[in-house]
Amino acid sequence: MTSATGRTAAALQFALAAENAAIYGYGVAGAQLGAAGRGLALRDWTQHEVARDQLEAMLTSLGVKPVAAQPAYQLPFPVHGSQAAISLVGDLENRVAAAYLGIVALDDPRLRAWGATQARACALRATTWLGRTAAFPGLSPGPGTAAATSPSASP
Amino acid sequence: MRADLRRRSVLAAAAVTVPLVAAGCKGVGGLGTLPKAGPDVAVLRGAIGTEQALIDRYRSAMAGSPGLAGTLGPLLAQHREHLARLTSMLIEPPGRSPTPRAVSSSPGTAGTGSAPAATLAVLEAAETAAARSLTARLALAPPALAQLLASIAASEASHALLLRTHRAPG
Repeated sequence: MTSATGRTAAALQFALAAENAAIYGYGVAGAQLGAAGRGLALRDWTQHEVARDQLEAMLTSLGVKPVAAQPAYQLPFPVHGSQAAISLVGDLENRVAAAYLGIVALDDPRLRAWGATQARACALRATTWLGRTAAFPGLSPGPGTAAATSPSASP
Repeated sequence: MRADLRRRSVLAAAAVTVPLVAAGCKGVGGLGTLPKAGPDVAVLRGAIGTEQALIDRYRSAMAGSPGLAGTLGPLLAQHREHLARLTSMLIEPPGRSPTPRAVSSSPGTAGTGSAPAATLAVLEAAETAAARSLTARLALAPPALAQLLASIAASEASHALLLRTHRAPG
C-alpha cells in the first residue's frame, strides 16, 4: 500500500468509526424523543447508515477491512430527556463533520468534494435539530471566537 | 493590473527575493519575471472577497429591515468570524493596505424598503451561492485551507437552511 493510500484509508476509517458512533447515538437519542423527534431521528439515522455503507465500500475497494462497530459507545454526557437527546445529536453531528474534514484534507479532489458534501449534510442536520448554526462545523473555534451563536442546552 | 501587483505582495519575502537576483542574470529566462502568486493565495483572496460581499449584503439588509436584526445578527457575526479566520491565513508584508474589497455584483440586493420575506430570500440565495463558490475552490487549496473552506461552506449552507425556515415558518 502506498503512503497516499494509507492516508486515505486512515481518513476513511476515522469517518467510519464516527459514523458507527453516531448511529449508536441516534438510537439512544431516539428513545428519549417524542413521536415527531423520533421520526426525524429515524430519517437522520438512515442517512448515517447510508454514509456508513459508502465508507465500508470505499475501504473494501482499497483492499482494507472496514473497522467494525462497537457494541456500545461512551456518550459525551448522560442522556435523559428530549433536551439532552437533542444536545447529543448536535454534538454527534459536529464530531462526524470533523471526521469528514479529515477526508477533505486528502489530495484526491473527488474525495475532497465528497467529504465536503458529507460535512455539509452534518451541519444541516445539526441546524435542523438545534435551531442554530455554527461558524465552523467540524473545526475547533478559531482563537477568540465562539463556536455557535448561542450556548448549547445542558443536559 | 493593480490587483496583480497586490497579489504579488502577499508572497513570502523569500520568494520575492528570487527575481531580484535573477534580474541581472539574463541567461535564466525562466526566472526573469515576477513569480505568480500560488493558487492557494488566489483561493484565499477569493474566499475573503466572498465573505466581504456577504457581510455587505447582511449590513444592507439589516439597515433596510431593522425588524430582522434578531435573525440576521447572529449570522452576520458568524460571517465576521469566517472573514477573520480567512484573513489570519493571509500573510501580508507590514504596511500593506488590507485586501481590496471584492466588487459585489448584487442583482436584487436586499436594500431599504424590501419586504422581510424578500430580504430573507435574497440572503438565502446569496448564502447558497457563496457555499457553492467556496466548495468549487477546494481542489486548488492546500489541506488546511481546504478544511476551512469546507467548514465555512457547511456553515453557509446551514445559514441558508435557517433563513428558509424563518421565511416559511412551520
